[in-house]
Amino acid sequence: MKPSTFFYNIGQGFKGVFRNRVMTTASILVLMACMVLVGTFYLVIDTINLNFQKIQNLNVIEVMLQKDYDTEKVKYIGEQLAEICDESHIIDWSMNMWDRETEQVPKHENFKYISSDEHLEIMLETYNEDWIKEIFSHNEFHGNHEGENDGVGNAVYDNPLRASYRMTFINLSDFDEVTRVKNRIDEIAFVDESGVKTDAILTEDIKDNIELYGNVMSIKNTLYVVGLWLMAIFLLISLFVIMNTIKLGLSARENEIKFMRLCGATKHFIRMPFVVEGVIIGVFSAAASFGIEFYVYDYLLKDIISSATGTTGALGIEAAEFVTYAPLLAIAFLAIGLFAGVIASGISMKKFLKT
Amino acid sequence: MIKFENVSMIYSNGTPALNDVSLQINDGEFVFIVGHSGAGKTTLTRLLICEERVSAGRLEVNGFHLEKIRSWRIPKLRRTMGVVFQDFKLFDKMTVYENVAFAMRVVGAKPKLIKKRVPFFLDIVGLSHKSDSFPTELSGGEKQRVAFARALVNNPDTVIADEPTGNVDIQMSEGIMELLMKINKLGKTVIVVTHDMSLIQAYKKRVVQIENGKIVADTNGADFDIKSMMTSTENGAFDGGEIR
Repeated sequence: MKPSTFFYNIGQGFKGVFRNRVMTTASILVLMACMVLVGTFYLVIDTINLNFQKIQNLNVIEVMLQKDYDTEKVKYIGEQLAEICDESHIIDWSMNMWDRETEQVPKHENFKYISSDEHLEIMLETYNEDWIKEIFSHNEFHGNHEGENDGVGNAVYDNPLRASYRMTFINLSDFDEVTRVKNRIDEIAFVDESGVKTDAILTEDIKDNIELYGNVMSIKNTLYVVGLWLMAIFLLISLFVIMNTIKLGLSARENEIKFMRLCGATKHFIRMPFVVEGVIIGVFSAAASFGIEFYVYDYLLKDIISSATGTTGALGIEAAEFVTYAPLLAIAFLAIGLFAGVIASGISMKKFLKT
Repeated sequence: MIKFENVSMIYSNGTPALNDVSLQINDGEFVFIVGHSGAGKTTLTRLLICEERVSAGRLEVNGFHLEKIRSWRIPKLRRTMGVVFQDFKLFDKMTVYENVAFAMRVVGAKPKLIKKRVPFFLDIVGLSHKSDSFPTELSGGEKQRVAFARALVNNPDTVIADEPTGNVDIQMSEGIMELLMKINKLGKTVIVVTHDMSLIQAYKKRVVQIENGKIVADTNGADFDIKSMMTSTENGAFDGGEIR
């Protein structure tokens, strides 16, 4: 295409936009609604993904052990749990991962023993605040350790926490299997010399957040599906409105187009200004949506997250900076805009040029 | 060259328009196509610019075989022809200059060439002084001349004028015919579709008479029997169908 023809068609496209300014505005608004919705859903889903590691921490079963259990009992429970885990496909663990020669208790990532001291360390690291340390330095707890000073000025904390076994799941989609595993854990019992069984683990000592994990995942999946459907519906509406906008332009220039065809103008030449019109609608919508999305994310979504997590960030949920999403959103919006604009004008023109 | 070989044309609704027409128009010829309303004159010109397709037979126009032409080649065919419509088809929102330039613009002519050719053709039709006027400010004859300038500006091989004197008075008719003669002298094939018998009598050029979709006479102007045409059947039935 000659540069003069190219610029002529660009100019005609802009003229078309101004000629149908009311319908053009309607097209831009509908397309913007589509893009902002898609963008917002994407940002929400990605924020969930970003915090997925934290959500994954919900993906565990923790079996709390009684304070008075001796090493033999702790080891016995560990062996029972290890076998249950070995038999289940929802935990990536096999008995040969456990080095029985060197370790009394397992320390694998998917299945490990956490002592009460380790629990205390984790807690103090997580909530690194003076008032918590102060609580643990008082003698009001009557655990295995009495509060005392180590002689060089460091506080030795009372530890009311219990040891536990922690099992991390790799697959939570099989809820029946999760329930089965929990039931088997609940059935672990000590058997004395006379064959009498006593419960080794109380039902309330089996702690898990699997339900919460499932809920979060289900919200994420719902958002994903709803987002996709809304995108499809709004995209269709956008196509319809843009098609009508282009059709209005075509009707206004019907005689001109008929004459162009009789003069020997190619279909491509006739089509170009209308495609340019579609592109202008698409690009303008994309640019405006990008601006709105920035506002939605930085001033609404982030505010909602911070108000939901509280000023202390107790839940530890974080949101990425908008700039990390900017390139992807810009490309996606531009792609949606161009797709809608070009396809809608193409369909309108095809019908018109056929007649 | 334009060559019809046993061309028939039937509209999609079954209405027959042309029946077994054979006709040859050589390059540089001046031909009147005459006939009563509905005789098939318009269909014949629509076939020439490929607005309609032939139903049977062979049709060659300026090197294009229209019975099998591909749709993407139709614009190329149309660029070899300039058509002057009875209702001029000028755009009221464009000036005379812009109307003529538009015909060049839509076939992708460079702005430099447009600036050179448009004033030249406006000069040929005697409208240089009206280049900035709008069509609404022109007389019927002036509009007709703008339409001629627009038909000529892309340097076509053939110029087709559909009832060019239909909307103008006798004095203007003469002016338009002089213009067509001038165009013919430039080496262009000129086809004038008309039912104005005075033109045929005055200019003594080849006359092709169509009635009921058939060529009933093809003579030079001097031999053309106007009386027989005036008394021939009007809007007659043809093969049981209505003639367009």
